[in-house]
Amino acid sequence: MSTDIEARLRNALAARADLVRPEDLQPLAPVVELRPRWQSPRVLLATAAVVLLVLGVVLQGLRGEERSDRIAPKPDDRVELQLPTDVGRDWKADEYSTPRRLDLDGDGTKEEVTFLSEKTKSGAGRARIEATLSSTGEETYGIVDLSSNVVVSSLPPIDADDDGDQELVLYDGDVTGPESPLHPIVLDLRDGLLVEAVVDQPELLQMGNVPVPGSETPYYELVRSHGYEVRRGTLYSSRSVSSLASTGMTVIRPEELVRDTWRWVLDDDGVLRPVEDGCVLELITGEWEPCAEGARDALPALSRPATGTIGVGEQFSWTEGYQYDARLEAEADPVLVVEGADGRTINHPLEVADPVVSTTQPTSIFYDGASFVVGSASDPAYVQVLWQDADRLRVLQPVGEVPLTNDDTHRTWLTEEGRLWTVVAGDDGTWRAWSWTMATRSEMTALPAGTVCFDDVDDPSTARDC
Amino acid sequence: MESAEAVDITELYAAHRLSLVRLAVLLVDDVASAEDVVQDAFAALARRPGAVKDPSKALVYLRVSVVNASRSTLRRRRTARAYSPPHGTPPPTPEDSAVLAEEHREVIVALHGLAPRQREVLVLRYWSNLSETEIASALQISQGTVKSTASRALVALERAMSSGKEQR
Repeated sequence: MSTDIEARLRNALAARADLVRPEDLQPLAPVVELRPRWQSPRVLLATAAVVLLVLGVVLQGLRGEERSDRIAPKPDDRVELQLPTDVGRDWKADEYSTPRRLDLDGDGTKEEVTFLSEKTKSGAGRARIEATLSSTGEETYGIVDLSSNVVVSSLPPIDADDDGDQELVLYDGDVTGPESPLHPIVLDLRDGLLVEAVVDQPELLQMGNVPVPGSETPYYELVRSHGYEVRRGTLYSSRSVSSLASTGMTVIRPEELVRDTWRWVLDDDGVLRPVEDGCVLELITGEWEPCAEGARDALPALSRPATGTIGVGEQFSWTEGYQYDARLEAEADPVLVVEGADGRTINHPLEVADPVVSTTQPTSIFYDGASFVVGSASDPAYVQVLWQDADRLRVLQPVGEVPLTNDDTHRTWLTEEGRLWTVVAGDDGTWRAWSWTMATRSEMTALPAGTVCFDDVDDPSTARDC
Repeated sequence: MESAEAVDITELYAAHRLSLVRLAVLLVDDVASAEDVVQDAFAALARRPGAVKDPSKALVYLRVSVVNASRSTLRRRRTARAYSPPHGTPPPTPEDSAVLAEEHREVIVALHGLAPRQREVLVLRYWSNLSETEIASALQISQGTVKSTASRALVALERAMSSGKEQR
């Protein structure tokens, strides 16, 4: 250790501190107000108020949170960290397990961390994380159990304990199913070993759609969208404030979603703890913006109805995805004729005499082939959805809580984006929006997507917040 | 007398405000923020007279408050930057350090490139002249961590200064 650097530091700190002179400080007027000794709680409160009002400082801690410097460690709070055993030197690195470079020992030089995977039949198993520390030349290692250790992936490093060195963050979780949230693993260099941090409140540190207990219905359930990511060297997690309807792999998500966030800090005991970090508005692009006052999720995207239709004797072409031409021919019953770009031709008799078929495909329901929303020119209550199953069109029967119709208390329309909506009137002038999705090969169901008000319910563009 | 009444905040304020602002300015690097940090510390003490029954420990309490509040200030600053569009909010400038002698300025600039805890340990050790035990108590970390953090911080500081010279 250089004594020169210590001397230079000492002199520089003194010189910098001395630049702050008494006359540079704000006037000491509050001292006059504070002069009386505190002799009673009332005087004490008045004094505190004067400090705050005169100096204009922000009162910290009114919420009754205990200051970190006032909290004594409790024996029960201590956790046992699992030290890694020295195994796996002969395990192999998968070619897709990219080494990560980070400064494990805080000396300003990045170490290269490599990942060696234990070979198992299931693909789940242990991985050895190893590196040579630049500060000492000694080898360090850690062992983690992963749901899938074939390819070990890491996030950008973090410094969750603000001590100048970096912690390694690995992805973990069963990636084979959407119902299985992912969890990060954080490894910190402690006593020369890479030790896995214990996560306090792990339910706040996961990625995926997590069901809300008790919300399950026969056709959907409510979930909260969780996520985590590293931003500028800090691990953040987030959770949607609202619950979102979900079925299968479909989640009804507003284009702007309010999320609560947490910043994760690593304490001296090796415990990763969440610190509330306020709310953000997540845009459709995934970017975060700070919440404005009263921030809410975006309204459901109801406002651009698809207006194009064809009647008997007319046709249209669909040129996105599976391409096809469709026309309505008049026979004993009108027939919807579909000619796919792959050479298939389907003739589907319709059950109404005056059909109108939307020229927009209901892609939110089905897009791996042709699909249609069929109405009746004379009966606005009639709405039917067809989808292509190989060489035929099949009807999707509506099931669940909402009828597929138009009447006094229901309005149904398709948007230009291909989403089919039904709004249902409430008793208080509000309308609850439901988005249709395919439930089975013969059924479709509507998922709740929020509540809106209309200036004119027959004009979806007038949808607004209530 | 061990009572809250024994702590005279006015006297504490007059006696220690300047030194605490100086401590804070070494941590946050601008006088306005440093003054806010110190006022927060006194306001917190004013609200919780029972927290410090022994007047001789009030300065210790205030010093810890200043270190914690400085860290929060830097974190808020960092978070605010993270939310801002590129070039939207300029980073805080160490305006006063501009009048420092060059040899001191490069040390201070390098110091503010360190991790918060490294900076805190160095400032408490080399400006506040606290012992390792006192620093450990103030930062709620072990003495071993104080020692290793200080050691690494000095290495990182020296490297940062060397790097700065090479870039010039």
